[in-house]
Amino acid sequence: MKQEEYFTQLVRENKSTIYTVCYMFSQDEEEVNDLFQETLINMWKGIDSFREESKISTWIYRVALNTCLLQERKKKKEVKKVPLTMNVNFFQDDDANAAQVRLLHQRIGKLGLVDRALVMMWLEGMSYDEIGSVMGISAQNVGVKLFRIKELLKKL
Amino acid sequence: MNFEELRSQFAILKDQLKKQEIVSDHLLRMTMKSKRGNINNTKRSCYVAVVLALLLTPLNYYINAWGLAFSIVTCLMLLFCAAATYYIHKPVDDLNFLTDDFATVARVMARFKKQYNQWLYYVTPVIIPWVGWACYDYGWKHAPEGVNPLWMCVPLLIGAVIGGAIGLYYHFKAVNAAQDILDQIES
Repeated sequence: MKQEEYFTQLVRENKSTIYTVCYMFSQDEEEVNDLFQETLINMWKGIDSFREESKISTWIYRVALNTCLLQERKKKKEVKKVPLTMNVNFFQDDDANAAQVRLLHQRIGKLGLVDRALVMMWLEGMSYDEIGSVMGISAQNVGVKLFRIKELLKKL
Repeated sequence: MNFEELRSQFAILKDQLKKQEIVSDHLLRMTMKSKRGNINNTKRSCYVAVVLALLLTPLNYYINAWGLAFSIVTCLMLLFCAAATYYIHKPVDDLNFLTDDFATVARVMARFKKQYNQWLYYVTPVIIPWVGWACYDYGWKHAPEGVNPLWMCVPLLIGAVIGGAIGLYYHFKAVNAAQDILDQIES
């Protein structure tokens, strides 16, 4: 399979994971679009280095989270905007589902960046080992941090 | 807060996204057109300035504006600056979006910021006598009879102030960028 075809398939199959990370680190739809595009660019730049040593979901999470963390905001604004053409805008849609998603965004948004990333991966169903490999901490430490975050979230 | 509620909200999000037809082909094509590689503007600006200065310094010696010793010392300082910039920036350039975790990113950025800050403390005591030497070499040696050498140094000093301001701008831009990343990680 040509690399372009493989990449296109990869993006299409994992669109919801990429979008979820970008959405949780954004304040508006425009920022989601910017981060989404930036994440795809970084995935494309590094597609050669993905050797299937880890799960694809772990690799995508790592790229997306690092993109959200390291994005150069000024430079980003110079990038030509391309719409995602996903017919969804959780920031504006007013149906019941969008309201629930906004509530999730609001709750997770109260956490710091690292805690937010941890909770998202936990909600995604990733194992502590996988979460630890993305964050650079041990699985045991992931458990401790998640316990602390859960306690924190209970108080919110 | 009920965690089952959080899970169910997350499931709704994923369910809503799965129904979507996904990104445009245009976006994917544009992504695949993007060049591989990462350019650090601050580092590039420094290298351009060093190359220009390395070209101009021998020229100034050739037209007899500055002495040989001053020109050699200036060239050595420029080469040292380029080497130091390379050394400080290399770990940041080597950061890999695909293999590096948050802890690594935080460690590299903290080191980068520390070295950049230290750099200012080392360079400032060297730059001030260097500017004085440049003024002496140019003003005192070339001032015509009856002309105060200080006036000859005014263009040099203006250049030094502008150059220093540009250097500080890029310096603090790099330090602030590193600090922003550290703040986000630590928040």
